[in-house]
Amino acid sequence: MSLTYLEAIREAQAKALADDPRVFIYGQDVGDFGGAFKATKNLAAEFPGRVLDAPISEDAIIGAAIGAAIEGFRPIVEMQFADFSTPGFNQIINHAATLFWRTNVPCPITVRLPSGGTSGSGPFHSQSMEAIYAHYPGLIVMTPATVEDAYSMLLEAVAIDDPVIFCEHKYLYYHLKAECLPTEAMPVGKARIARAGRDLTIVAYSAMLHEALAAAEEMAGEGTEIEVVDLRTIKPLDTDTVVASVARTGRLLCVGEAWPWGGVTAEVIARVATEGFDLLDAPPQRLNAKDTPIPYHPDLWSVHRPTARSIVAAARNLLRM
Amino acid sequence: MLLSRVLDEKMASLYRGGKIHGGVFLGRGQEALSVSVGLALRKGDIFAPLIRDGAGRLAFGEPVLDAVRTYLGSALGPMRGRDGNVHRGRPREGLFPMISHLGAMISVVNGALLARRFRKVEGIVGATCVGEGGTSTGAFHEALNQAAIERLPLVLVVANNQFAYSTPNSRQFACRELGDKAIGYGVTAHKVDGTDLEQCLHTLGGAVGQARAGGGPQLVVAELLRLCGHGEHDDAHYITAQLKHSRLGRDCLKVAEEHLLRQHWADAAGVRKFRQEAVLEIEQAVALVQREAGPDPFKENWCALASRHLSERFETPDPAANP
Amino acid sequence: MKQIPIIMPQLGESIAEATVINFLIKAGEEVAADQDIIEVETNKATMNVSSPGKGIVRDFKAKLNESYPVGAVLGHVEISVEETRRLGLDQPASEEAQAPANGGSVAKTGDTERKRKVEPTVRGLPVPAHAAGASYMSPRMKARMDELGLHAADLAGVAGSGAAGRVTIQDFERFLANLEKHKLTSASTMRVAVADAMRRSWTRPIATVALPCLFEALLAHRKASHPKAGPALYALRALAVALAENSAVAGRLIGNKIVHPPSIDLGFAVEAEEGVLVPVLRKADVRPLSELVGRYNELVELARQRRLPNDATGGSIATVTNFGTFGLTWATPIPLPEQTLVLGLGAGKKVPHWDEKKGQFVPVTEANLTLSFDHRVLDGGAAGRLLSKVAALLQEPETL
Repeated sequence: MSLTYLEAIREAQAKALADDPRVFIYGQDVGDFGGAFKATKNLAAEFPGRVLDAPISEDAIIGAAIGAAIEGFRPIVEMQFADFSTPGFNQIINHAATLFWRTNVPCPITVRLPSGGTSGSGPFHSQSMEAIYAHYPGLIVMTPATVEDAYSMLLEAVAIDDPVIFCEHKYLYYHLKAECLPTEAMPVGKARIARAGRDLTIVAYSAMLHEALAAAEEMAGEGTEIEVVDLRTIKPLDTDTVVASVARTGRLLCVGEAWPWGGVTAEVIARVATEGFDLLDAPPQRLNAKDTPIPYHPDLWSVHRPTARSIVAAARNLLRM
Repeated sequence: MLLSRVLDEKMASLYRGGKIHGGVFLGRGQEALSVSVGLALRKGDIFAPLIRDGAGRLAFGEPVLDAVRTYLGSALGPMRGRDGNVHRGRPREGLFPMISHLGAMISVVNGALLARRFRKVEGIVGATCVGEGGTSTGAFHEALNQAAIERLPLVLVVANNQFAYSTPNSRQFACRELGDKAIGYGVTAHKVDGTDLEQCLHTLGGAVGQARAGGGPQLVVAELLRLCGHGEHDDAHYITAQLKHSRLGRDCLKVAEEHLLRQHWADAAGVRKFRQEAVLEIEQAVALVQREAGPDPFKENWCALASRHLSERFETPDPAANP
Repeated sequence: MKQIPIIMPQLGESIAEATVINFLIKAGEEVAADQDIIEVETNKATMNVSSPGKGIVRDFKAKLNESYPVGAVLGHVEISVEETRRLGLDQPASEEAQAPANGGSVAKTGDTERKRKVEPTVRGLPVPAHAAGASYMSPRMKARMDELGLHAADLAGVAGSGAAGRVTIQDFERFLANLEKHKLTSASTMRVAVADAMRRSWTRPIATVALPCLFEALLAHRKASHPKAGPALYALRALAVALAENSAVAGRLIGNKIVHPPSIDLGFAVEAEEGVLVPVLRKADVRPLSELVGRYNELVELARQRRLPNDATGGSIATVTNFGTFGLTWATPIPLPEQTLVLGLGAGKKVPHWDEKKGQFVPVTEANLTLSFDHRVLDGGAAGRLLSKVAALLQEPETL
């Protein structure tokens, strides 16, 4: 039996619904239709009354989730695309994120954001919003890159008492498969060394992890051993693991699918520069999407964000410094 | 109502005396409407009051000390200094603290009502108030629509006090009257003279009762005049004398007082006594709270997460260097 | 009776000040708590400032038609003891709460912006780190070198593979690993100290001039003396006398200032195990040679035994070194890092010398005097003149 990243998400939701009567799912088309990406397929039938169809009202969807959370429930909200979470942005950052700090009452909601680009998806169906949410105190932001993490981190997200922004990658939905579901997982907040190396550290997350691994494989053929770190969670960010990796290699390349300004790559480099300055043998580098809205045409899209190709070029450049 | 009015007056005077940090927002003129909401609700209901609902809060059971402590920034208040003035509440007791974005609280009340429904708790009502300005927000629209789809026991009270800050009705909505929106949403409308306590009690009692009985969302629109500035920093010069002297501009407290006297439910001395008692209660609360300390920035845990193990340290360890 | 201030209240979110337009009460009048006493105007509205308590208005500090910032004291009200208690002002904590804690965020009225020219702290164009020709030492390299106590001089033997030939951490670690393959012994603390001193000294441009010096007179004088002074001491005393005439040449250059020597304290090099010690003869210009001999010999012995007291070293303004004792005729010693001059004395050799009177070559004992100096402080001319003076003084040893 093998399952996809998407199926793992579905399985996690099924388990959450089964294990905890306080869990319910709310979002557009999640009920009988099973969700735009089929992430909730059959769940409405398996758990009657607990998978509700919402109107196109992201503000009200999140607001209702907050209200239910105050009453002790643990709602999972599916935004149809990360890009559409913006109408609900106010409730997330001004209400969910501030509730515990202001009132001492936790807000255990999970907001699932189908994120990232696929060919032809265009400017409003491709965004990666992790950095925007990570900026606000009071939120946890997760970016699982593997089938196993999609499963166990979603379960963890539901169990955490704070609002979790769960950035699942749409490209990985059907393209990533695993043999079976994991029985144990690394703790949330810990990054993972996806590939051990020696000459250079690439820090990546979500779909970019796989591009980084492909780049590392290619360069291994030339005798260069690249260490790849999978952040797994953006907030909190596992600075220690990143710094330890840079301690081993002395060179850092941070890769993200989102835009450069104030993105995750900027945050990682800021932390390494502050806490691991003496470990750097070369200036830290980063690779992000081009600073424009995400283009529709596949040819444009193919160069808009980092790929294994551009990562190899950046790594080679860094090694020459 | 009287207690709320006296509390408001005290807060205003403390504000002018420079004792309050940040804004002060009063409910002067809205007491009759607001207290009727609070009185119609029961313990176990959900109430998300808004800016001018001091009277409703007191009627619902919020202690006077909560208001005074939040305004004066006492560390013992429900918000512990982390939020102030009207942004206060006790979520676990069904009193939801507002956020500044108008209309945002409605869907939160919806969510709480959904949760109660999941729990098969019956016969409860969720009430929230907005001004006519709040009806223009997308959040209002989404939430009322959501409540209607789910047929929730929501009572949405719109206090049309004629001005949203300085914006008159003519610049806020173009429909004939706000109650007409109910048809668009598929909910029941109620209309009431917000200056008349007797009418307010009757209307709110009816609306809450209908919601409780399963009648779906109830939209109550009250007409009144805001008898203070948007905040105490605003002198409301844009409210014309004509409006102030109209029926709309009647002070609901005076109207209620006259009614009391006419009905012989109290005499002038009795009314004076009510006021004295209110003043004493407020003065005592203020004197007590003025002795209380504010939050200590060096003792704060400065952590916004309930999951402490997931919080990050960004600053250098010296607390004196960074607040 | 207690006086409490009338404070300009916070009148609106973006309001920083207001103008007093009317006094509703006169000083000396009674007021009730919260009674309006001053009318003020902001750019948004006209508002009232009310009395902080029931009592008598003591005074008004504010003037009509003047603007005052939020938090300013506009006057005082005198209140009774009961009123103090009623307002909760009898506690020290609440007294602080009287004046709103606006802190540094309140802009003072009439505070004109001080226009200052902002000077950049780092001038010049930033050069991209990986541009050709721009070499740098990475933070990691610096940290590693600090850790090992190494300096750039130690890296002279490392060819860098990084951009612009910089030494990368990999180059460095490889270099260190390679060293492990060779025989390694520990350098003594003395050796490391001398290495550090020489490295620091070498950061200056050092030059050397030399002069052959006839030793006949000196040797004759020495033969007839008791106790006997060594040639190095003669040279030291000659240097002292020469410097007494013009001590600026032994001064140090710091920036654009010459630091003059405070006294002619001269050091002399003594070889001790693994290094060199430099004991000092204080005020060598003041005492004649005969008086210096005893102390000199004492210091040499102490130095050889490594028992020099602290006050016997340090503070010298120039050093004399007798490399002739090793049989060397020529050397270019390096001055101590805190000194500008080092006078060197080579081994005496019998050489033919043209005697004009006799019209023939005669055998004489001659030794080279060398002077190495910090070329920032003096040039060849001054150095030559000093050396010539020393040589001249050594021809008349009885004057020393």
